[in-house]
Amino acid sequence: MDPAEVEFLAEKEMVKIIPNFSLDKIYLIGGDLGPFNPGLPVEVPVWLALNLKQRQKCRIVPLEWMDIDRLEEIREQERKLDAFTPIPSPYYMELTKLLLNHAADNIPKADEIRTLVKDIWDTRVAKLRLSADSFISQQEAHAQLDNLTLMEINTTRSFLLDSLNYMYKLRSNLQPGRSQDY
Amino acid sequence: MPCERKPMRYGHSEGHTDVCFDDEGKCIVTCGSDGDVRIWESLDDDDPKSINVGEKVYSAALKNGKLVTAVSNNTVQIHTFPEGDPDGILTRFTTNANHVTFNSSGSRVAVGSSDFIVKIVEVVDSSQQKTLRGHDAPVLSVALDPSDEFLASSSCDGSVTVWSIESQTQVAQWKILQKSSDVSNAKSLCRLAWQPRSGKLLAIPVDLTIQLYDRNTWTHVSTLSDDLITQVVNVVVWSPCGKFLAAGTVGGNLLIWDVEAKLCIERQKHEKGFTVCGMAWHPSGGRIAYTDTEGCLGLLEGVSSSSPSSSSTIQSKATASKETNDYDDLFDEDDDRMLDEGMSDSRSPVKKPIMEDDDDDDDLMPATGRPRNRGSFLDDDDNSQDPGSVKLDGVPEEDGSSAILPAVVPAVSRPVYDGPKPTQPQRAFQPGSTPMHLMHRFMMWNSVGIVRGYNDDQDNAIDVEFHDTAIHHAMHLTNTLGHTMADLSQEAVLLACEGTDELASKIQCLHFSCWDTHKDWIVDLPKGEDVRALCLGQGWAAVATSALMVRLFSIGGVQKEIFSLPGAVVCLAGHGEQLLIVYHRGTGFDGDQALGVQLLQLGRRRRQVMHGEPLPLSRKSYLAWMGFTAEGTPCCIDSEGVVRILNRTLGNTWTPVCNTRESCKSKSDHYWVVGVHENPQQLRCIPCKGSRFPPTLPRPAVAVLPFNLPYCQTTTEKGQMEEEYWRSMLFHNHYGFLSSSGYEIDSEGQSQAEKEQQELLMKMFALSCKLEREFRCVELAEMMTHSVVTLAIRYASRSRRMALAQRLSELALEKANQLQEEEEEEEEEPAYQRHTSREYRGSNQMSSRQAQVENGCEEEEEDYPQEEQMDAEESTETRKPSLNPFKKGAKSPERPSPKPVSKEGRVNPFKVSGAGKSSSSPAGQPRTTNVLDSMTMSSRKPTPLGGTSKQGKAPILKPLAPKPKSKTQATLLQMSASKGSSKKLEDSQLEAEKVKPAPAATPPASMENIENRKPKTGFQLWLEENRKSILADNPDFEEMDVIKEGMGRFRTLTAEERLNWTERAKGDSDPKKRKREDEGQADEQMETDEGSAKKKKPLDTSAKLSAFAFNKE
Repeated sequence: MDPAEVEFLAEKEMVKIIPNFSLDKIYLIGGDLGPFNPGLPVEVPVWLALNLKQRQKCRIVPLEWMDIDRLEEIREQERKLDAFTPIPSPYYMELTKLLLNHAADNIPKADEIRTLVKDIWDTRVAKLRLSADSFISQQEAHAQLDNLTLMEINTTRSFLLDSLNYMYKLRSNLQPGRSQDY
Repeated sequence: MPCERKPMRYGHSEGHTDVCFDDEGKCIVTCGSDGDVRIWESLDDDDPKSINVGEKVYSAALKNGKLVTAVSNNTVQIHTFPEGDPDGILTRFTTNANHVTFNSSGSRVAVGSSDFIVKIVEVVDSSQQKTLRGHDAPVLSVALDPSDEFLASSSCDGSVTVWSIESQTQVAQWKILQKSSDVSNAKSLCRLAWQPRSGKLLAIPVDLTIQLYDRNTWTHVSTLSDDLITQVVNVVVWSPCGKFLAAGTVGGNLLIWDVEAKLCIERQKHEKGFTVCGMAWHPSGGRIAYTDTEGCLGLLEGVSSSSPSSSSTIQSKATASKETNDYDDLFDEDDDRMLDEGMSDSRSPVKKPIMEDDDDDDDLMPATGRPRNRGSFLDDDDNSQDPGSVKLDGVPEEDGSSAILPAVVPAVSRPVYDGPKPTQPQRAFQPGSTPMHLMHRFMMWNSVGIVRGYNDDQDNAIDVEFHDTAIHHAMHLTNTLGHTMADLSQEAVLLACEGTDELASKIQCLHFSCWDTHKDWIVDLPKGEDVRALCLGQGWAAVATSALMVRLFSIGGVQKEIFSLPGAVVCLAGHGEQLLIVYHRGTGFDGDQALGVQLLQLGRRRRQVMHGEPLPLSRKSYLAWMGFTAEGTPCCIDSEGVVRILNRTLGNTWTPVCNTRESCKSKSDHYWVVGVHENPQQLRCIPCKGSRFPPTLPRPAVAVLPFNLPYCQTTTEKGQMEEEYWRSMLFHNHYGFLSSSGYEIDSEGQSQAEKEQQELLMKMFALSCKLEREFRCVELAEMMTHSVVTLAIRYASRSRRMALAQRLSELALEKANQLQEEEEEEEEEPAYQRHTSREYRGSNQMSSRQAQVENGCEEEEEDYPQEEQMDAEESTETRKPSLNPFKKGAKSPERPSPKPVSKEGRVNPFKVSGAGKSSSSPAGQPRTTNVLDSMTMSSRKPTPLGGTSKQGKAPILKPLAPKPKSKTQATLLQMSASKGSSKKLEDSQLEAEKVKPAPAATPPASMENIENRKPKTGFQLWLEENRKSILADNPDFEEMDVIKEGMGRFRTLTAEERLNWTERAKGDSDPKKRKREDEGQADEQMETDEGSAKKKKPLDTSAKLSAFAFNKE
C-alpha cells in the first residue's frame, strides 16, 4: 500500500463545506449528498470538497480539530506519553495535507496548523521507530500498538516486515544444520 | 448639563471587578475574576489591551506606571504600565488580599487581606513593610490618607479602624459595620475613601448611608443619604477636587453628593441594576468609570463639569423649593428619566445616544436647563410618604406649564411616580445587520448574500458577496457616500446613507441584473429627510424615512407610490411582491415596545393585507429580526430569541415556533438569525458566543436550528405528535398562500405534507383509541380529511369499537355533505378564492373516496356488517385486474398529460364523455376537484387573472377536466359506489327507495342523468328478493320495519353469501358504465394492464395509511 492509496482512503472522510451554488441532492453509489444551498454548510466527502474548492464552488469549513489549541494539547500529550495518544482523526496527516494544500485560505492559521501536525507526526513516527528498534533488539515475539493511524502503519510496515524477514533468515542460517537447506 | 450614562459594555467574565484610571486619565484599567487586567483607551475601545496577571484579580491600583494587583495566589504583584510586564511580587499573604491602594504620591501601597492583616509596603523596596494587626476578621478595604499619616481599614468584624502608620497603632475605631464571617458574605465591600488633598474627611459606607468622620476629632460629622438608596452602599469615591463624593450601591444605584451642601446632585441607575463593585473618578473629574459584578464596565460622562454650577443653583433654591413642592418639574424629570430608563431597558441593538429624534420631551430640556435627577422607579416604593406620586395622565399639560416656569428647581424633593414607565422606542434597524458603530460590520446578511462594511483608518469600503456565485460575482465598492444601510436581492444592491448638514440623505441602487449599461442610480431625498430603513423586493425597492414616509421605487429607479406611516419606522422587509413594515404604534411601557405591522401586496393586485396590527413580542424585549421566510411568510424574532411566524389561516396571527435562547449554552450566548426556511423547516442562524451578533472575522459559520412549537407536554407521545402536526400545518400554510397569489408550487411537496399530516392524525387517532378516549378520537377525526376518516372507521371497527365507528361514519357523512355544499358554492367562486382555507381544500381534495364513504355510511347507519365494507376496501388492489376495462377507459383521456395533479384527485365519472356538461348541471355534478383548480392556477404561473370571473375560468378548467379522473377512477369503479356525489340526489333516492322499494333499481324520474341514480348495494338486492318473504312473515310491517327486519336477516347470512350479494350488486351497476366508457375509448387491453400497474401509485398514501391502521391493531 503506498501513501497515495492511503490518501485515497482518506478522501472519503466527511468535511463540511459552504457551497456557493445551488444544487439538489445528488445520488451517488456511496450515498446521497446535498442538497446544496448557497451559504449553508453541508457535509461532503473530502474528494468532492476539494474538487469543488478547486473550481471555486465552495469554502471548506475547517475540521473541528484543526485548531491551534487543540493540536498543541495533542502535541504536548504526545511528547509526554510513551504510548501513542488517541488522535482526533484516523487520517489526520492526510487530511491536513490535502486541505492545507488546496484550501489554505479557508483555514485560519494554516501554517501553524501545518507545523503542529508535522510535529505530532514526527513525534509519533519517532516513537514508532524507537519501539520497532526495541522490539527487534529485545527479540520480542509480539507488540501492542494502539492508536496508530493507517498512514503511520504504512510508513513502517514494508521496512519492518522486510527487515524481520531478513533477520529471520539470518537467524535461521545461524542455526547449525539448517544452513544446508538453503 | 446633567451627566450622561454611557451604555455598559462587557469587560470581564462574571464576578468581582475593580476599575481605576491611569494618572493622566487616558485609559481605564479594569480587572476581573477572569484574571485579566484590561486597559481601555475609551469605553468604545473594541480591542482593549489584556494582561493576564493570575487566576483571579481581587483589586487593582495604578500609579506612576506601576500596576499593583491583588491576585488569587495570595500575592500582590506589580506590573509595569502600560506594557504590562511583570515587575515582581510586592508582598504575600497567607490568603488572598482584598484591596490594594496607593497613597497619593504613589510611593506606598496599602493592602488589606483576608488573613486579618493590613500591610503597608514601599513600592520601590518591598522589604520595607509595615504590618498592622488588630482586626478580627478579613479586611475589606484599606485607604491611605493623603498626608500619609493615617490608614483607615474596614473589616468583616464590623469595625472601621484608623491606624497611625508610623506607630502602627490604632488611633480610632468605630464598630459601625455589620459583622460577617468572610468577604464573600459581607453585605458591602465597604470601600473607604479619604478626602483628597486635605484628607479632612473619611467617607465610610455604612448600610444605606455614607458617614463622614472628621480627621482631627475622629468624630462623626455628617451623614449622606438619599431615598433612592434601598440597598447597601458598596463603594465610595471622592472627586479629585474633594468637593463631591460618589457612591455605588449593591442595588446598582450611582449617586453623587455635593459634600458641603450635603446634596445629592446626581442619581443614576445601573442599566440592569447589577451591583456596582468598582468606581473610579477620572483625574480631571469629568467622568466616573464603574464596574459591576457581572463584569461590565460603564461610564458616567460630564459629571463634575456640570455639577458645581448646578449644585450652586440647587443650594440657592433648595429651601424655597422644599416648600413649593411644585409638581411641574417633577414631570419633566419623570419624562427625562423615563426616557433614560427606556434607553437602558430597551437596549436597542444599535446603541447610540438617543437624543436625536426624540420629540417634545427633549425640547423642553434645554429650556429648563436644570440638573436632572435620575433615579430608579424601582426603589420608589420606599418613598410613599413623598407627596409627588402623580399619575401619568397629567403629563401633557404639566409639561406645558413647566416650560413656562423653568426657574423653579426643587431638586431636593425627588419626584415620585408609581405608574408604568414608558419605554424608549427602539431605533430603526436593518434586519440582518450588526450595530452601526462597529468598524467592521455586516450591513446585511440574508439568503442572497452578505454585505460587509469596513470603516477604519485605511479604508471605507463595502464588500458584497453572494452565497450563490451564479447570481453575481463578489463586489468591492468604495464607500465614498458613507452608506450605513444596505439590502441585497437577486437583482440589486440597495445602499443608503443618512444626510449630513451639507449633503442630503442618499439612496444608491446597484442594479446588477440590469441589461443596459447603466447599472446604478442614486436618488437624493429632500432636505431634512433621512433614510431610516430600506428593503428590496422583486422589481421594487422601498425606503422608509424620518418624515414618517415610505417611498417606493422601481428597481430601475422610477419613483412610485409614497405613503405615510402612522409612526416612526423600525424596519422594512421585502419578499417578492410583499412589503412588510414595522413601526412604532405608540409608546410602550415597562420595557415593552409598541410596534405595529403593515403588510402590503405590491403586485398586480395592490392591497394591504395587514393594517397595522400590533406585533406581539416577548415581555421587555425589542424586535431583533424581521423578514420573510424563503417561502414568503412574515417572520419576526425578538431580543428574547423567540421566533414567531405569521399564521395566515388563523386570521394573520403570530405563532411562536422556536426559542433560540433555549439552545444557547450560556446566558450571554445568542443566535443571530440570517434566514428562515419553511421547507425544509430550518432556522438558519449564527451562534454568537457572549454577544448578540457575530464579528466579521473569523468568518462566522451558519448553523441550523429546528423549529419547536411550545406545545404542552411534548415529552409525551401525544404532545409530541400534536406539536408535529401543528408545526406541519403551520409550515405548509405557504402552499395556500403561494397558490392563491399565483405562484407555482411544489405540488409534490404539498401532497407529501398533507400525507404527513394525515398520517400524524391517524397516529394520534390510534393512540387515543388505545387510551380508550373515544370522544377524542372523534375530535381527531374531525380534523381528518374524508378519505382518512374511512380509514379511521375501519380502524375503529377492527378494534371492535362499534360506537366509535358509528359516530365516525356520521362524521364522514357530514363531511361529505359539507364537501358537497362547498363544491356547489365553488362553482360561482373565482378559482383563487377557493384556497383560503386549508381544511377546505383538503377535504375537497380527498373526495376520491367520498362515494365509497357515503356508501359506507349508509350501510353503517343501517348497521350493516362492517366486514363487508372492509372487504370491499381491501379488495381495492386485488380486484383491480378484473376491472381493467373501466380503468383503461378512465385512464386514457389523461394520458396526453400524464403529470399527476393529485393522487386523490377525483372527479365525477360521468364527465368522461362530456366535460362540457359540467356547467349545465351545476347542482348534481361536481365539476372537478378543488385541488385540480388550484393546480391549474398554479401551473399557469403568475399569469394575469384577467377578470378572474367565471368566464375567465371556464376555458382554463375545461381542458384539464379529464385529468383528475385519472388515478383513482379504478377505486371508484371497484367500489361501485354511488357516483353522484350529490348528497341531495342520494337523499332523494334513499327516500325513493323507502317509499317504493320494489323498483329500487329505477332511478327517480326527476334525475337529470340516468347514471346518477344510486346503484344498489348487496343488501338492497337481497332485500328486493327477500322482501316478499319478510312481508309474508310479518304482513303488518311498515316499510321501515321491513328494512330493519331485512337487515337483521341479512346479518345472519354467512360472509360468503353477503359477499356474493355485494358482487351481484356490482355486477348490476357495472355494465352500464362499461357501455358508457366503451363509447369513447378504444379497447386496448394490453395498455390497460400497464395502466393498472401505474395506477397503484396514486393509492400509495391511503394504502400506506391503511397498512398502518392495520398494523396498529
